[in-house]
Amino acid sequence: MTVLMLLFWLLVGGTLQVLVPAWRHMGQPMFPFLLGVVLYTALNKKPRYFMAAAILAGILEDSLSLAPLGSSACAFLAAGSLAILLRVDFYTDKVRTTMCFGALCAATTTGTMALLLRSKQLILFSGNDIAWRMAGSTMLGAVLIPVWFWGMRSSERLLGTWEDRD
Amino acid sequence: MKDRRWIALCAIGLVVLVMMNLPDAASSRVKGVVRDGVSPLQGVLRGGVRELREIFRYIRGIGDLALENRALSEEIVYLRGEMRMTHDLERENQLLREQLGFVERPMSRHLIPCEVIGRDSTGWWATIRLNKGKTSGVADGRAVITTDGLIGRTVSLSQRTADVLLLSDPACKVSVRLTRSDVFGVAEGTGAKTGEQPVCRIEYLSTSADIREGDEVVTAGMGGLFPKGLLVGHVSRVEPVESGLYQVAWVTSAANLGELEYAFVSATTDDLAVTAAPVQAFDWEEGEAYPVDVLEFSEEELP
Repeated sequence: MTVLMLLFWLLVGGTLQVLVPAWRHMGQPMFPFLLGVVLYTALNKKPRYFMAAAILAGILEDSLSLAPLGSSACAFLAAGSLAILLRVDFYTDKVRTTMCFGALCAATTTGTMALLLRSKQLILFSGNDIAWRMAGSTMLGAVLIPVWFWGMRSSERLLGTWEDRD
Repeated sequence: MKDRRWIALCAIGLVVLVMMNLPDAASSRVKGVVRDGVSPLQGVLRGGVRELREIFRYIRGIGDLALENRALSEEIVYLRGEMRMTHDLERENQLLREQLGFVERPMSRHLIPCEVIGRDSTGWWATIRLNKGKTSGVADGRAVITTDGLIGRTVSLSQRTADVLLLSDPACKVSVRLTRSDVFGVAEGTGAKTGEQPVCRIEYLSTSADIREGDEVVTAGMGGLFPKGLLVGHVSRVEPVESGLYQVAWVTSAANLGELEYAFVSATTDDLAVTAAPVQAFDWEEGEAYPVDVLEFSEEELP
């Protein structure tokens, strides 16, 4: 059931990510719907689910953009691993903590992606542009991730997959 | 237990490394399969949003419908007249070319009508996704236009979708001509935000070139990628660089890149040889839809 729920949310996240236009301010970052799914599994599920989610979300995101396959998976794994490292020290179910995790991981994902794409000379963004976009992603992550978590948690309660928690 | 965790981590690392080093063909195939799988859902959602927007637009503009109808009828009459005149000119031009012994120029171009179903998922590129791909005859590197003018070129294809790199992306370069002064240059994207203008700039223009605000910019057809004479936009600003060696012209796109719903992909006869399914087209003369392979336009009818 957890796998099905994961696939459902990945599909919803991927679709929303290409439909919802980028935020027009602070470097035009995209709303991190897919990151939300990855982060949720990192903070609430067993590591194997997190890894599967990060790779699948990465394949989906790269397929729906011009990015080379594997770049987004790398970024998601980096952000999720950071969240796993920190989750032992924080109570992750609190909204304020979720906001902080969302902000931090969104910035990490954007930074890692920028690093990978710039190293392959696929994007022509300056360091300032990337920093500005990372700041934008931080804002969006802080706002979107708690709402996204609430949606995923509600669906879990509805489907009865709550016991799958780590 | 600890060993298993390390093995799992190594396995994940291996998967990511393999994915990042896949050959281009394999990588495109994987991406194509995923994209084709998601595209029906994207199309349905995008269609729903479009329908809703249309309903709101209809309700808001209900009072102005009669006026709008009249204006559109007038425009149709005007455009039909223009079309007739263009046909006459085309025939005359063909005749003169024949008399002068010029090589015959292909007079028609095919356009594949498409719907926009999404944008780039990462936001690092200015792209849109169309609901037609290789099976409909869309090929890589083809010009994509709307009724207002050129918007970009196709860059990444799957069987049922095509990604379009918009004019505003810094990676999009178009060989252009300024019609009034007959000056040539290369327009490249400014990286402007969605819906923001100007979308591209033409650098290295001679300081002696007479370029003014409002000058029309069309494709030069020199790169071989874009057909000649497609409207790109208009010059919104001209300024010399600090060193004074050349001037730069900023171009406002004729099409609104932020609100694209439909687009046409230009195609050659060879591209269409692979077309599997007929495409629904609209007959402007009769006012009804009918199934055809593609829309066929003469060069003068293009924006």
